[in-house]
Amino acid sequence: MNRLLTGLVAALASGPIGSASLALAGQEGHAAAGGAAAVRTLQSVPAQLWVWLIPGLPMLAAVVAVLCAMLRVRSKFPAYFTVLCLAGAFGVTLWMFSQLQQGGPGAYWVVHLFDWINFTWLPGKEFVANFSLYIDPLTCLWMLFVTGLAACIALYASEYMSHDLGAGYCRFFFAFGLFVFSMACLVMGDNLLMLYLGWEGVGLCSYLLIGYFYQKPAAVAAAKKAFIVNRIGDLGLALAIMLIFVKFGTIEYAKLWPLVQGYVDLALAGHFDQIPMSVQGIAYLLIVAAFGKSAQLPLYVWLPDAMEGPTPVSALIHAATMVTAGVYLIARMMPIFQASEHALWIVAWVGGLTALLAATIAMAQFDIKRIMAYSTVSQLGFMFAGLGVLTSTGAAFHVFTHAFFKATLFLACGAVMHGFAGQLDLRKLSGVAWMKGWGIVGAAMLVGCVNLAGLPFTAGFFSKDMILAQAYGQEGFRPLAIVLLFTALLTAYYTFRVFFRVFVGPKSFEPGDEVHGHDDGHGDAHGHGDDHGKGHDHSHAKGHAHGGFVPHAPGWAINTVLALLAVASIAAAYAYPTHFVENLVNNSTARVAHASGAHGGGHGEHEGILGYDLHTAMYVISGAVAVLGIGIAFVLHYAGRKTAAVSLADAVKLGAIQRWAQHKWYVDEFYDFTIRLPLKFLACVLSFIDKFLVDGLVNLAGFIPRWIGSRLRPTQSGELHGYAVGMAIGISTIGLVALWVLW
Amino acid sequence: MLLALIFIPIVAAALIPLLGKRQVFWLALAGTLVPLGIGLVMLLGMGVDWRSLTGDVFTRSIPWMPELGLTFKLGVDAVSGSLILLTLLLGPICVLCSKSAITERVRTYYGWLLVLQGAMVGVFAARDLVLFYIAFEFTLIPMFVLITLFGSTNRRAAGIKFFLYTFTGSIIALAGLVYIAWFNATKIQPGAFAGAGAWTFDLATLQSAARTIPAGTQWWLFLALMLGFAVKVPLFPLHTWLPLAHTEAPTAGSVVLAGVLLKLGTYAIYALAIPMLPAGAVQFAPVVAVLAIIGFVAIGLVCWVQTDVKKLVAYSSVAHLGVCMLGMFALNPTGFKGAVLYMLNHGLSTGALFLCIGMMYERYHTRSMLEIGGLAKKMPVWATFVVFFAMASVGLPGLNGFVSEFLCLLGAWQASDTWLAGGFVGGTPGVLGPVYVGIAVVGMVVGAIYTLQLVGKMVFGPLKTPHGDDHGHGHAHAPHAAAGEHVSLPTDLNAREIITLLPLAALCLALGLFPKPLLQAFDYSAQRTYLIVNEAREQVRLLQVDAPIPPLGPASTPSDPPGARPSGTGQGKPEVHQ
Repeated sequence: MNRLLTGLVAALASGPIGSASLALAGQEGHAAAGGAAAVRTLQSVPAQLWVWLIPGLPMLAAVVAVLCAMLRVRSKFPAYFTVLCLAGAFGVTLWMFSQLQQGGPGAYWVVHLFDWINFTWLPGKEFVANFSLYIDPLTCLWMLFVTGLAACIALYASEYMSHDLGAGYCRFFFAFGLFVFSMACLVMGDNLLMLYLGWEGVGLCSYLLIGYFYQKPAAVAAAKKAFIVNRIGDLGLALAIMLIFVKFGTIEYAKLWPLVQGYVDLALAGHFDQIPMSVQGIAYLLIVAAFGKSAQLPLYVWLPDAMEGPTPVSALIHAATMVTAGVYLIARMMPIFQASEHALWIVAWVGGLTALLAATIAMAQFDIKRIMAYSTVSQLGFMFAGLGVLTSTGAAFHVFTHAFFKATLFLACGAVMHGFAGQLDLRKLSGVAWMKGWGIVGAAMLVGCVNLAGLPFTAGFFSKDMILAQAYGQEGFRPLAIVLLFTALLTAYYTFRVFFRVFVGPKSFEPGDEVHGHDDGHGDAHGHGDDHGKGHDHSHAKGHAHGGFVPHAPGWAINTVLALLAVASIAAAYAYPTHFVENLVNNSTARVAHASGAHGGGHGEHEGILGYDLHTAMYVISGAVAVLGIGIAFVLHYAGRKTAAVSLADAVKLGAIQRWAQHKWYVDEFYDFTIRLPLKFLACVLSFIDKFLVDGLVNLAGFIPRWIGSRLRPTQSGELHGYAVGMAIGISTIGLVALWVLW
Repeated sequence: MLLALIFIPIVAAALIPLLGKRQVFWLALAGTLVPLGIGLVMLLGMGVDWRSLTGDVFTRSIPWMPELGLTFKLGVDAVSGSLILLTLLLGPICVLCSKSAITERVRTYYGWLLVLQGAMVGVFAARDLVLFYIAFEFTLIPMFVLITLFGSTNRRAAGIKFFLYTFTGSIIALAGLVYIAWFNATKIQPGAFAGAGAWTFDLATLQSAARTIPAGTQWWLFLALMLGFAVKVPLFPLHTWLPLAHTEAPTAGSVVLAGVLLKLGTYAIYALAIPMLPAGAVQFAPVVAVLAIIGFVAIGLVCWVQTDVKKLVAYSSVAHLGVCMLGMFALNPTGFKGAVLYMLNHGLSTGALFLCIGMMYERYHTRSMLEIGGLAKKMPVWATFVVFFAMASVGLPGLNGFVSEFLCLLGAWQASDTWLAGGFVGGTPGVLGPVYVGIAVVGMVVGAIYTLQLVGKMVFGPLKTPHGDDHGHGHAHAPHAAAGEHVSLPTDLNAREIITLLPLAALCLALGLFPKPLLQAFDYSAQRTYLIVNEAREQVRLLQVDAPIPPLGPASTPSDPPGARPSGTGQGKPEVHQ
């Protein structure tokens, strides 16, 4: 059974290579289309109804996981079933991709599943938000790596989560399946409300999975933070949807693009003053949404905390797929963004600054998973910068390569964490790659690191270079290019800081304790065997002394997945010479429109650097930068390091800067102080007002009759004199009034 | 059949004294299940095409006191029908959830619960003003009994406040309604439309009549009606009775309160106040919208700092119904549909949350989030339901809350004259628009904050129980423990409790994914109300530019509804009518 699965997954994971050949066919088509505007043709397709399997299979996996939980299944069945479903979804995606390619460049499908929120808002005027799928090359690109990676990572998780067999295991795979379903809705939806469904759906899954170890207050807080910060972004999306509807009367992509085209033409001609603010404003609202989901300034703070979740989740959701939804949104809505005068400029600079800020924080952290988290924020910044400087190809390509190598990195870190009882401190681990059984982990980590650092001729190098070159060549963005180059240097440094300290060097380690570790209840120092992770009772694991600890090397599932992903990370580079991503992006709406005469796809006539062609020059520069960064890391963290804890880097004292970077520039504290606390204070004040002023008035109103009553009650004393006096007063009053009236 | 829906529970209540204590529960269950069955038959089995309904069905008119113009007139359309179904569904659920919670005075308890059930159906089915008002007010008495007899420690104060507050409001509303009937009887030419110029309380007739009241007077009348109905909704700042009543009421009381009783207010505004006094509604739209937004955002923040979990959910009702009112006072079909759908959805998700809290309370006898936490460890099934309903309540797409919330906000967003002036294709007349919605959406974040606060404290986090013991069923601490039988509860939910929650969960999912049939069904009502309101806009515009209202006598010529051209009556100035 296991062997069968391995074979299946291996076959499926060769996908990226296999699909590259398909891309060649597409390339010819693209060349033929060429020109200013690609011809986009809708193929109406009841015949393509099978694509519902792509969201459907993950949903099935989620449902089965729930059933397993109800039936109290205590085996790895839910995991294997999920892997099967996701692999199936990946297979269907491949098929979808190949079928779409046969439709020629610019072909897209709208596959209607069922009516969702459809209503007549005025007689004859419909609001349409169907549960329909919109399939074009951009959709395919995203779904290929989403389903492919999800299948791999589910397999990895089957072993990684095995300490929690039973209800927790089912819960994990339920959220996992639901996540892939939501992601499919997000990417494949044919209207913005479907996108919103996926957008919030992935947020929910992220919430559930970050808070997986729900007894840890930190995990619960992190989950809450992620959801709430994301919600702020979601507001932007909701408002954008409403504005689009009011402006254009539709939120379906296929009907929207022709309506937007006129504004794009105006923008290309430079007549931004003729584009109403309501149209330009849409892009700003979408920016808020994208920055929330993709963890950009100022909304990035949730992502590092999200590392409280199990590592497979960090790899899939918080590195490879969900966080790229913002990039997808902007790429998908590229025409809207091009119709806005300043939106892309904002996207570019916020991306660049986020990249820089996150890289500086990553340099000063000691928790390797957090370093990877900040690196994700930083790389997402690169993608946004790419979008901003009008290379949606570069951004999408970076999304694509980053998905593979960052997942590899996370999973390698996760393997370490899994084996060393939750140890993540790079000062307490050393030479892991040289330990018995850790070879594949070390190799995979190396592959991930060279990609992230952007060593020449790796996938990460090509994709980063595309963004850098475009930024340098784009008018007015040269400072941004320099910021990004500097960030690339920092990236290379902090990446190999981890590698040199943790994976090579003298062998030494200090196991974590499950209280500190992220894997609550997984401090089993005795280490369970590779394939028989029965549900241990971990309550007694606390007291184990360090002396008895034997790190347990990863089993077949983790090793297989790491090997697969490492290969895929390397193979992703092949997409560059074959223009795989470029063809996909340029045949979709993510294509950057250029004024007539310019070339498509961002290969405009740029001035060179020192007489060299821009791209060639940038290869050299960014390659040199990467090597320099690695060199610095080598000197500071490897050369002459005798123990795990002490290295040359300790001699480098940067004082306050180092301390501030280590404390993440105190951004969390700043937000706490400027937003959360005032809000809480306001809430308390409001609560007070509600209780004592609003309700007080009500009580006062209730009190008045009683007070009057209590004043009057003594008059009803039963004494005859009193009544007589009262009668006299009454009669005389009536008499007086009567007199006055009659007079 | 509507008669059966109203009277089966009441007859069941009357039979209760004949039975022993143990059978009462089953009788009550039957007394709520049978109407639910009849209701489902009416929904599906009678060949009524609810989606293309253009008027009332199942109408029944029994002469009552003809000399006073009273008839016992019943009928349902899609809107009231769906609310009746919600009521019928919550009936058995309330009975089921009380089985272990109520162990003494069971006869009184189930008796009043059944009477309440009948009265609530009566409100939605009534097509005669007096009948409506009687049913509307009659819901107070059973609820008052349920709170004051079966609530927790502060129940008497809560019950009295609930009763007096809502009753005072209703009296003011009654004054307005009587004025409308008087207006119809005395100021309108007989024969202008059916029932004109005579004493009648027929709702359809009074709607036609009331629309001819001048806009200035409508302002006053609308204020009166709103004072009565908005207390029930409750609209900020008339909401303070609700947290108290909810906190003290027994679980079933809270469920009915949140699920149906609050909807009496919104329904009355939608079905009575707006179509009767459209000019008043147009004038009040910005005011109500502002109050609704304050409710949504500010009361949402108040939720955040609550420590009593029931109070938190109670306040969240105020916040949620703020959205509902915002959508309703967008005064366009999107908003109307959103608001009506919101009534149903809020009943499902908030009702379910109260059920969940009740189940927790039965086990731990505390509602304080300071004393309890991390229950996912002990009660995973319960925790799953809580998270599910919390997500429905927070408006997660795919679940029911989202559809209605989005529609309400979209309706308010569309309702702006500036869109129309700017040539935007999606605009409708109105005075709300992006500024209102831009502020209101903040409430969505606030909603996430307090809901996750609830989930984060109660469900997740380190396990914390009041006495530090493991007894999930420490009934010794129950307030009613002195006498009565104890029902021992397992640590996690038992089958009865799961059955109680499952239909609600299924509906939350179904309405989230397939809201289209309902939206179609509400179409006629929403479009009709929209037309009525649009007719009135012109009248209001004239009033606002101080154009002289043409002096028309009572013998004016009110044309046919709903196309009635609103015409002033002789007095012109509103004060004259007071």
